[in-house]
Amino acid sequence: MTTDRQLAGGFSFENCRRNEMLVQKGLKQPSFLKTGTTIVGLIFQDGVILGADTRATEGPIVADKNCEKIHYMAPNIYCCGAGTAADTEAVTDMVSSQLKLHRYHTGRESRVITALTLLKSHLFSYQGYVSAALVLGGVDVTGPHLHTIYPHGSTDTLPFATMGSGSLAAMSVFESKYREGLSKDEGVKLVAEAICSGIFNDLGSGSNVDICVITKGKKEYLRNYMLPNPRTYINQKGYSFVKKTEVLKTKITPLKETVEVVEVEAMEE
Amino acid sequence: MVGKNCFAIASDRRLGVQLQTIATDFQKIYKIHDKLFIGLAGLATDAQTLHQKLVFRHKLYQLREERDMKPETFASLVSALLYEKRFGPYFCQPVIAGLGDEDKPFICTMDSIGAKELAKDFVVAGTASESLYGACESMFKPDMEAEELFETISQALLSSVDRDCLSGWGGHVYLVTPTEVTERILKGRMD
Amino acid sequence: MDLDAPHSMGTTIIGVTYNGGVVLGADSRTSTGMYVANRASDKITQLTDNVYLCRSGSAADSQIVSDYVRHFLHQHTIQLGQPSTVKVAANLIRLFSYNNKDMLQTGLIVGGWDKYEGGKIYGVPLGGTILDLPFTIGGSGSSYLYGFFDQAWKEGMTQSEAEQLVVKAVSLAIARDGASGGVVRTVTINSDGVTRKFYPGDELPLWHEELEAHDSLLDILSSASPEPMVS
Repeated sequence: MTTDRQLAGGFSFENCRRNEMLVQKGLKQPSFLKTGTTIVGLIFQDGVILGADTRATEGPIVADKNCEKIHYMAPNIYCCGAGTAADTEAVTDMVSSQLKLHRYHTGRESRVITALTLLKSHLFSYQGYVSAALVLGGVDVTGPHLHTIYPHGSTDTLPFATMGSGSLAAMSVFESKYREGLSKDEGVKLVAEAICSGIFNDLGSGSNVDICVITKGKKEYLRNYMLPNPRTYINQKGYSFVKKTEVLKTKITPLKETVEVVEVEAMEE
Repeated sequence: MVGKNCFAIASDRRLGVQLQTIATDFQKIYKIHDKLFIGLAGLATDAQTLHQKLVFRHKLYQLREERDMKPETFASLVSALLYEKRFGPYFCQPVIAGLGDEDKPFICTMDSIGAKELAKDFVVAGTASESLYGACESMFKPDMEAEELFETISQALLSSVDRDCLSGWGGHVYLVTPTEVTERILKGRMD
Repeated sequence: MDLDAPHSMGTTIIGVTYNGGVVLGADSRTSTGMYVANRASDKITQLTDNVYLCRSGSAADSQIVSDYVRHFLHQHTIQLGQPSTVKVAANLIRLFSYNNKDMLQTGLIVGGWDKYEGGKIYGVPLGGTILDLPFTIGGSGSSYLYGFFDQAWKEGMTQSEAEQLVVKAVSLAIARDGASGGVVRTVTINSDGVTRKFYPGDELPLWHEELEAHDSLLDILSSASPEPMVS
């Protein structure tokens, strides 16, 4: 059953026809987790800053209030993802493993252009069906780089970039305030402002601000750099229930102590 | 739902075709090993197929590694299995809960194509997920002891399920602490 | 507005031969539906030291074609031990465009200089035919330019005449075509090598009913109505 597929890799389409039939018979197709997102990036004085909001949605429902959208690619390269959550996660994981193998092969630091080429060739070969919109940033031996990658596999190289449903709100901030040679603090402030404008003006984006600063030989992942939307009121005591829940049947299985095997040196003759 | 060094995983017991109920004692939570459970909401045939595949892969892992899978590893396995069918998915939303290293609780849910959603407090899935979000959001407290956790998860489940016509007929709760697993069947509305 | 629409370059691209070389020109707008995704893109891509390519249509498709062709031309250059000719580059592009015509939405203009034939321009439009022409225009903005080129193009222009013509033509197309915009980029290739030039949007000539560039709309408003408003 699974064995023959185990090593093959790649997608399997065996359920497609069945699902088509099920949908025709009136079964609802399950909705996918999307990251209606604001993701941004900019190049500053000595590196690249990436930023993202932290809301994941499933239709109109907020499925995750604090998810991570800045993905690791290599120690010197990170990538923000928007679109279908599974796709952005899978595609960045896959390329990051390819990059690691490539580093073992060459013994050199990964380059941003390598990551870019691997990502775009995967996305192009699926003709836009793998819906991942990415902002790729990093600093390598040739300096800082920032790219955007669209689901169809086209790429752009820019000094500042935005993506996702909140990209218009964020771009308006960048277009009015970005300039060349920003300092680190100014850059982080501008990125946070752009993400906040996405959080507050775009319904698909929300919650907190994540930021990642990459400079030559150094990176800072500022998870939840800003928390502009804290929960307003929580009952200190919480809820408690007077009446015990009615239980029909209870079964308790005690768990065995796990036995730890300790390696002992072989006895001498 | 996560408590202090423990977790609970709960589901309703109804199996139905659209609005017609077929069974009222259906198992939706499956045990992978003593401290790892997976709940599968959605199309029953896919849930069972997926469960079989997972048990198979977990047994292979046990043979090769001579140990049980960590919940984090298992979640990645489920995610990979679901993403393989990206363009023809299983109609199935999993909820994974387990105790990891040093009995640290781990919970996680996914959509039908394997996008992991990790949370510190609680995760929900299925047709009643909207009402579950609300109920859990207000009822949950951090660091609950096992029995309080049981009351909370049960009440959250029952109150949400009552607002969803496609779920119901009692509940099924597993409460897992480092020393024991308590399985309880809850009494609920039968309509 | 459709942000999921594939990235496409509603474009103006031009290739012109002159006495001794070629000039390629392009605008810099890339759009997704109604949104300008990149206002300073570079649609003139380098293939080899002496051959450049103007891209139009789907951004993803034209990038993949140019990446592949660049790869094969590098190989070809090494095997040959000398720079590849423009004709070889153009034929390779035609081969890709023709063989994958069901899957590609891209029109391309190849331009370059080699020691056998001098400056050459080839057009490779949608279906994958190859056109050997003294000048070519392409992209959505080109429809506004056919008449202009019939009138303004002359055999045996000088380099500066050809460059002036290209900049003028792209700026005319930018003025009338909504899908073209931004800046004008040109690449000149001749026996001496390659020169890139860049003309910012506020330095382009103004055509019929076009307004001066302003930093702020308030500048225009205050000068137009000197009288205070009375309610």
